[in-house]
Amino acid sequence: MADDQTRRDRRRARAQGPPPESAAGAPPRDAGSGPGDDRRDAGLPYGRRRRTAASALVAMLVALALGALFNAPAMKKTALELPFGSERSFRLALVDPLASVSHWLFLDRPAKLTAEALGKPDPGPADVPAVVVVRPTGQPAGEGEPGEEPDAGDKTDKPKKTLQEKPLPKPFKGHPMRLYIAGDSMMGLPGMALTNLSNKTKLIKPKLDYHISTGLCRPDFFNWPAQLQQQAKAFHPGAAAVMFGANDNQAVQTSSGKIFQFGTDGWKKEYRRRVEDVIALLYQGGVRRVYWIGQPIMPESSYNNQIKLMNDIYRSVAEKTFGTEYIDTYALLSKNGSYSQYLPGVDGETVQAREQDGEHLTYAGGLIVAEAVLAAVKKEWFPKKGEERSAPPSPSPKATEEAAPAP
Amino acid sequence: MLFPTITFAAFFLLAFIGNWLLMPRQRVWKPFMLVVSLVFYGWWDWRFVLLLALSAVVNQFFALWIAGLRPKSTSAKWALAAAVAANLGVLGWFKYYGFFVTSAVNALDAVGLNANLPLLRIVLPLGISFLTFRVLSYVIDVYRGSLRPASLLDFSVYVAFFPYLAAGPIARASEFLPQLRGPRDPRNVDTARAFFLIFGGLIKKMLIADYLATSLVNGVFTTPGQYSSLEVLLGIIGYSVQIYCDFSAYADIAIGISLLLGFKLPDNFDRPYTARSVQEFWRRWHMTLSRWLRDYLYIPLGGNRKGRARTYVNLMLTMVLGGLWHGAGWTFIFWGFLYGGALIVEHARVDKRKQRALVVQRQRRELAAAFEGLADVAPLPEGPGAATARPAAPEPALEYDREPWPGVWLPRLGTFAFVTFAWIFFRSDSFAAALDVIGRLFQSWGTIGAAVTPGVFIAIAAGIGVQYVPRSLWQRGEAGLSKLNPVLQGVALAVGFMLLDILGPTGPAAFLYFKF
Repeated sequence: MADDQTRRDRRRARAQGPPPESAAGAPPRDAGSGPGDDRRDAGLPYGRRRRTAASALVAMLVALALGALFNAPAMKKTALELPFGSERSFRLALVDPLASVSHWLFLDRPAKLTAEALGKPDPGPADVPAVVVVRPTGQPAGEGEPGEEPDAGDKTDKPKKTLQEKPLPKPFKGHPMRLYIAGDSMMGLPGMALTNLSNKTKLIKPKLDYHISTGLCRPDFFNWPAQLQQQAKAFHPGAAAVMFGANDNQAVQTSSGKIFQFGTDGWKKEYRRRVEDVIALLYQGGVRRVYWIGQPIMPESSYNNQIKLMNDIYRSVAEKTFGTEYIDTYALLSKNGSYSQYLPGVDGETVQAREQDGEHLTYAGGLIVAEAVLAAVKKEWFPKKGEERSAPPSPSPKATEEAAPAP
Repeated sequence: MLFPTITFAAFFLLAFIGNWLLMPRQRVWKPFMLVVSLVFYGWWDWRFVLLLALSAVVNQFFALWIAGLRPKSTSAKWALAAAVAANLGVLGWFKYYGFFVTSAVNALDAVGLNANLPLLRIVLPLGISFLTFRVLSYVIDVYRGSLRPASLLDFSVYVAFFPYLAAGPIARASEFLPQLRGPRDPRNVDTARAFFLIFGGLIKKMLIADYLATSLVNGVFTTPGQYSSLEVLLGIIGYSVQIYCDFSAYADIAIGISLLLGFKLPDNFDRPYTARSVQEFWRRWHMTLSRWLRDYLYIPLGGNRKGRARTYVNLMLTMVLGGLWHGAGWTFIFWGFLYGGALIVEHARVDKRKQRALVVQRQRRELAAAFEGLADVAPLPEGPGAATARPAAPEPALEYDREPWPGVWLPRLGTFAFVTFAWIFFRSDSFAAALDVIGRLFQSWGTIGAAVTPGVFIAIAAGIGVQYVPRSLWQRGEAGLSKLNPVLQGVALAVGFMLLDILGPTGPAAFLYFKF
């Protein structure tokens, strides 16, 4: 059969004459195996057969249809992770029946079993709901850390100090302060810059943990509360620098199942609760100071307004929470109050502070943010000789337990 | 619209059907291909479409203008210069504006002048560097008389053809335009090679390049202080593998989908890390760029025809400009400078051998002349064999080793080490960042941490090892696939997609060369 095809190919080649490319100019000298190599066209190696466009279409249709059935659970997961709204509903309406058919035909099993065998997560939708209710309880995990002074007042009748209210332990070489840096993609390069600057101090041990496309609105896509708990337990940070919000301009679902569109009163209330939860979880994990990095000014006005709304929430929560400081990058990365892609960098030279998309920070832009965070950290953790440690950042102290929502 | 997405799969299916159905009707087919390509490009940003349209119209105007002038006359030269200036001006505006303006502001600031230059926010259109080189090849070929101007529609299809739009290969007008002249035979599609290229490209991109980037390389290049020396070394090597697997993947997929549409694009990679010299590396890496730079920059500069010193200057200029083509930054310029220097060293070595060979040749000539003189003094005996006794033998070709370095494996290792070292500057945001990475190589010879998983070793080994697989093995694989029933081909591809989905990263990542 292959020989018949080859003969047909040769007949066709003779009938058509040389292919038009041969007249167009020599193919690249080194492209011996390339598609421009006419020598191979005359007789394809090892009897390779050309096929009709129709057979290519059949192969592609089968690949796509069967591939869609194999991957239906993953497609459903992707659809579920979309922002609440019409597109999500539309995609789910398409994918749901496909997932059912796939399940009914046992075609979802190969992917599931292969993932299991390879130790990969289940490709299907996760069990995490679109809302996580955080109920931090008990003493902060950081109590009694090595190197910490025992609290003399523990056995008296004085009101017990929270971990955040106690004096900060002084980091020294061999016992650095652990700084946990977390956030979404906006935290990427600033986080890297902060990591590098922290390493240079030799008194701060940083850990960067950022995940693109994540935020506080959709724990079903990425469960930040669980991640923060797990990282606090594993890393034992003394302080945390966090930056969220770039992907949070979307609807949220409350524990009662109600969905609030972005910017509504219900949304603000629910989002504020989640911001408070982040701080509460970090405190519960032994974190003494939280540096909440606000979102920077954005080039597009509607997105910028959304950012401003979220920044107001971060600032307000930070002001009311003892031990949490708000880092205002909106002002820091503005030029005379307006957006600019280019700003004076940390050494005074003009640098491109934003990536091509206008939103994400470049490394040079990230350094500006990192310097600001590091200055806040140093002010509290490394006061200069003769200086008292600066007062806690919040004028209205709020204890660990109080920072958390009532269980 | 990224290649490894369901959106692109659906888009391509429609494009494929329309392409083959409409191909016999050229008047409908070409507009269809143009619209399809514009939709693909506009998917990122509709404003980019305007740039494509403008580029097509303006360059067609220049081509027609040049074609109407006396070949290579002064007017034609001026028209060509205007075309080159216009295209490089647009490229410069979009790609280098920020670089040049910030450099100027900082330089003036350093000497105490406060220059208040406007710092505008400019969105870099996708693949503008590739577009510029494509259209320039058209205008220059028309000037040279090797190509006649195409119709505006044909030229527009060439400018906007979606498979190579974002990141090459840089197909020349002379290679592509003839393929628009007549319909191809729909019974004669090299589907197996196309599927092989597409699927192989997806594996390289998703399982090797993206994996290495997220698990080690990005961290090493941005926060080297977090890694031990050994990890940094692996991260640097990992980047060599990542950039090859990422960029060649795009080229493979572009060539594969073009084949399915009945178009042939030139190869862009030919196992570059098997190169035994930097010269050979550039014959195997981004081949369409190399030959573009050779034919439209190095040779017009004089190539190697104007003496050794000028050859070296031309090499350096070509590579530095090639570096600048990749990105607006001093690190890219330095990257090109490194290659210029390496090429000069290699050329100098070969030139030295050539000089020695010329000396030997001259001595031979002199000896031969002296011998002839002696023969004239004492003529050879006459007879039937006299004619053959002193034949006028043609001068033998100049013999010398044209490979810059002796041996096979040591030059391969050396070339790979040099290329990998140069990539550090290519990947780093600044010289300071590059020096941090290099410095870290010698600072902390600790153990290998959690970032270096067995998967990293496998990915690095696979990315390099795949270049040493004999070509015949791939060809046998393609032949085997071509003999399968189309339904079975589809099943094989579906299983492959499923495995990619499980093993690959979450969500598609843009190809590295999109930003160039």
